[in-house]
Amino acid sequence: MTSGARTSGRLGVALAVVIFAACLLASLALGPVSLSPLKLAHYLMAGPGGSAPGSIIFWQIRLPRVLLAFLVGAALSVAGVILQDLFLNPLTDPYVTGVSSGAALGATFGIVLHLAALPWMTILALIGGFATLAVVWIAARRRGKIDIYVLLLAGVTISYLVTAVIAVLMIRAGEDMDAIVYWLLGSFSGRSWPEVKVALFALPFMIVPLFFAKEMDILLQGEKRALELGVDVERAKRVLLVTAAVLTAVAVSVSGIIGFVGLVVPHIVRLLVGPSHMRLVPIALLGGAALMGIADLLSRTMLAPAEIPVGVVTTFVGAPLFVYLLRRGRA
Amino acid sequence: MSTTRSRRGLAAIILLSVLIAAVLGALALSGCGSSSASAGEASPDAFASSGPVTVTDDSGATVTLAQPAQKVVSLAPADTEIAYAIGGGSKMVGGTSYDDYPAEARSLPKVGDFASPSVEKIVALQPDLVLAAGGIQAGLRSKLEKLGMQVFVVDPTTYDGVMADITRLGQLMGLEAPATKVVGDMTRAKATVQARVATLDRPATFIEVYSKPLMTAGGKTFIDDLVTLAGGSNIGTQAGDGFPNFSSEVLVKDNPAVYVAMAGAQSSPGAIAERPGYSGLAAVKDGKVFVLDDDLIARPGPRLAQGLEQLAAMIHPEASPAP
Repeated sequence: MTSGARTSGRLGVALAVVIFAACLLASLALGPVSLSPLKLAHYLMAGPGGSAPGSIIFWQIRLPRVLLAFLVGAALSVAGVILQDLFLNPLTDPYVTGVSSGAALGATFGIVLHLAALPWMTILALIGGFATLAVVWIAARRRGKIDIYVLLLAGVTISYLVTAVIAVLMIRAGEDMDAIVYWLLGSFSGRSWPEVKVALFALPFMIVPLFFAKEMDILLQGEKRALELGVDVERAKRVLLVTAAVLTAVAVSVSGIIGFVGLVVPHIVRLLVGPSHMRLVPIALLGGAALMGIADLLSRTMLAPAEIPVGVVTTFVGAPLFVYLLRRGRA
Repeated sequence: MSTTRSRRGLAAIILLSVLIAAVLGALALSGCGSSSASAGEASPDAFASSGPVTVTDDSGATVTLAQPAQKVVSLAPADTEIAYAIGGGSKMVGGTSYDDYPAEARSLPKVGDFASPSVEKIVALQPDLVLAAGGIQAGLRSKLEKLGMQVFVVDPTTYDGVMADITRLGQLMGLEAPATKVVGDMTRAKATVQARVATLDRPATFIEVYSKPLMTAGGKTFIDDLVTLAGGSNIGTQAGDGFPNFSSEVLVKDNPAVYVAMAGAQSSPGAIAERPGYSGLAAVKDGKVFVLDDDLIARPGPRLAQGLEQLAAMIHPEASPAP
């Protein structure tokens, strides 16, 4: 790596940190009830337990919600990076590999069985996510190796099947149908510290791909080349797939299905800083968090005191940005 | 070699999924085909008067019947309640799977659920009047009318609107006298509540329609009208009309003095006071968090009178008789 590339890499990370911090501050200060940075600092120093409406809003509603949005955005976007580069397919995201559908199925069972509270939702989502991953994995295993091509197709197929099962559950659920529909739409509304604690569980998994950055860089040139260069391809695939599955299932279990971030953030970051994973992973992590934070900010402020589903906003914010960068990237 | 194998594996997976889907589909269908035998048992009613009836319904359409309806299918639980309350139970030939009041309505032949009733089953019952709701059933009207059926839409936005609908349904079913009696009872309940709360101030009231995400009743809903009649001030109206999502931050800022959560088949509010941010609400501190049976305020039928009385007792306990 040339020293120039290294500098631009450091600059990129520094810039991402600045944008991330600005988005975090904006998300905490702005809302249907805006809090000035001064008040924010005051509430923060005073700690939780204050009885002023501002303090209650900050500690019990806004802070946990913002943290959750950032964590979910980061988890989905890191999972997106892993899956896109593992499958060598630009259309891959956490939602086409079956894992998120499986997690959604687990959570739907939770609602139907009236276990729609933590930690059951997370446990069931993790079980669902891993069960689908296991099915897809077994389908794709050939003589101790994972056929990535079969893995992708099997994932998509299982994803459709699981979605059909969810549809049947919804029809048969009757009274619980609304709960399932709202949950599948995805939202951070009404989430608080218990959900944040669950989402924090994803944090260590976001760092895993950094330890495989070199392997992932080489895998971009194809598995054959990676094997020639002495990479333990199967071990890298195993660890990375499980990591992506955990990140997706945890995200789905606390926020429902929120699309687009996991698909588009990795692409945006790749266009900006290139494919090297030592840079790509941390910047995608920060960028995914910032985009989700801003999307949730817009979702709770644009029509306040009403709210817009956050998945709608991520698409509205992300799609134009992505198309612009695609055009610029080609020029 | 490896591609043929992986292709074979893939084919196996697809085949397996199709099989599972087929089994699930069969299971889903088997559940709903068991209730169509007892159609057409409606006996001619003693009240039946003759001559054509014409009314205009809540959707603005004109409904004309050559003679009072004798075979009625209801597509909404509220419509079913009205029909039974005005003594039209014997003319009912079909309802939805949500119909649960009065108890006799449970045994009506079912034409499906509220959101997607089966047009085929409705046709098979040969009704001369179909009672529908607004909203998601709006598209159903033209379909049913093309098949030669008369559709009366009940979609009121006020308490008075509900009473007007009851009167009109009385005309369509040839049951004017009992309908007038039901409307009279509702009018008296309204007048009693209004007299009690007329001079009192209007506490800020929040109605929770759904908890996750938090949803409320905004303007142009009969629930908003009920809150106003019961002497409260509905803070949900600032989020718009209909049933909008509501920001919990604004809830804390507006600090409602009375918090009423609807509970029933659609929603179970759980431990309301323990929700994040709720500890500071005046309603929580003063013990004015209530749970109200959603059938009493979410169904535009005769039981709204009870809903109004209960709501008034929650908002103004000082002016209401002990239950």
